[in-house]
Amino acid sequence: MKGYGFLYFITEAFHGLRANRLVNLLAVGTISMAMLIVGFFLLVFINLHSAVNALGDRLEISVYLKEGVTAREKDFLRDRLNAEPGVKRVTYLAKADALALFQKQLTGQEKLLEGLGENPLPDSYEAAVDRQAAAPDRLEAMAKKFAAYPGVEDVSYGKEGAQVLSGLYEAVLYGGVALSVLLGVSVVFIISNSVRLALYSRGQEIELMQWIGATRGFIQGPFLIEGMMLAMLGSALSVGVIAALYFALPQELVLILSRAGGLDFLPPSVVACMIIGGGLLGLSGALVSVAQFLE
Amino acid sequence: MIQLFRVTKYYEGVPAVREVSFSVGKGEFVFVTGASGAGKTTLLKILFCAEHADEGQILIQGMNTFRLGTKSIPYLRRNMGFVFQDYKLLPHKTVFENIALALKVVGAPYGDIERRSYQVLKKVGLEAKRHLTPPKLSGGEQQRVAVARALVNEPLVLLADEPTGNLDPQSGQDIFRLFRDINLKGTTVVVATHDWETVNKMQRRIIRMERGRVTDDGKLPSPPAHTTVRTSARDGER
Repeated sequence: MKGYGFLYFITEAFHGLRANRLVNLLAVGTISMAMLIVGFFLLVFINLHSAVNALGDRLEISVYLKEGVTAREKDFLRDRLNAEPGVKRVTYLAKADALALFQKQLTGQEKLLEGLGENPLPDSYEAAVDRQAAAPDRLEAMAKKFAAYPGVEDVSYGKEGAQVLSGLYEAVLYGGVALSVLLGVSVVFIISNSVRLALYSRGQEIELMQWIGATRGFIQGPFLIEGMMLAMLGSALSVGVIAALYFALPQELVLILSRAGGLDFLPPSVVACMIIGGGLLGLSGALVSVAQFLE
Repeated sequence: MIQLFRVTKYYEGVPAVREVSFSVGKGEFVFVTGASGAGKTTLLKILFCAEHADEGQILIQGMNTFRLGTKSIPYLRRNMGFVFQDYKLLPHKTVFENIALALKVVGAPYGDIERRSYQVLKKVGLEAKRHLTPPKLSGGEQQRVAVARALVNEPLVLLADEPTGNLDPQSGQDIFRLFRDINLKGTTVVVATHDWETVNKMQRRIIRMERGRVTDDGKLPSPPAHTTVRTSARDGER
């Protein structure tokens, strides 16, 4: 391909895209719908992943103390917590401080605290646990052990929240992978059909090129690029739609979600992967059709 | 240049070409004649590697086409021009683009494409019509474009299958004159035709075919034998 090379392929691919405008437009639209679903799954997955990570970083055991707990019992509990393997830090949280913290967390929704009356929160010890040492069964055992000590009212370690989030994360991961594979196959199929139509519409030209000494690479090059460009366009369009929806989200919803651990947009690397991955799927679809046609 | 040894080709068990043997030297001009269905087109397709012979051996420029892989065929074809009865021009491309395509296919440098396309168009007398599309040309002009396309890569061999089949006698004469000029410059020319008038006028070597066999191979033409066929003693010997 000296002299012409890739430039010829690109030019011919653009000619092909223009020649079959309607079919290609439909293909881009359908691909963008498929990639939109993949993109939404990625968005949910990425945000759940950060939420699970954030939760992991904030692993704590709260040991709530009974009313009237003695200083000796408090010291005993603090020493036992400090001696526990995996515990990084132990903080005492007096009930007044606990209420202040709670009020701070509910900024903007102070109405919820109206009519609360006397402070219902107990004194507590907050023990930050190392992530490596925080296996669910270990945390549970530790919670049970501390709940049995004198002066302890209750122990909590966010068991349900962690489990729900972890389960959701796994469901999104496996569901997303399965759906992405399915949608990936459909993208290959869509591109394969579009390229097949382009091949049939230019059958005379292809036959002639074979007669005048064109190599297989020379003939298939523009079609492969055409398929790749169609899929990349569809993927880019889907990213655009996701971005538009993301930035159009009501501010209140974003605030609530931010408090819950943040709502991030797809990172640039994921956007690049979606577009390049789409392109590779398009290339595969085009390869299937070209191989069948030229055989 | 071209050597065939007992070449046979079957279509669904029926032989289209039977034990054909002959050789064509460098710079020779050869007519392959015979009635419709005699096997002329199949023979040319075999020479152009568009069909695979079932039996026999074919050597083109010393290359055994039986041993040629699929990937090597395009490179062999670049040394052979082919002219079709129905021209096979791309109707949506201009005369110039039709010719330039043959250069693009072989990866000719960008700058060469315009110069060489113009030169070959001048050779066939169509440089003034280079911006027209084939449907705006006469049949004779379209065939001249097809010849120009076959010649633009300066092939060693030019194969033509009934090149005047769709043309009026005058246009047909023009095409054969073009072939003669090309041949005089050293290109080997093999033309399959049943245009006996032209064959007689040109006084070149004639390979006659009947029902897939070569029945005569000689320099002096004979009138078309509709009733009797002279069986060559050389048939099947080479």
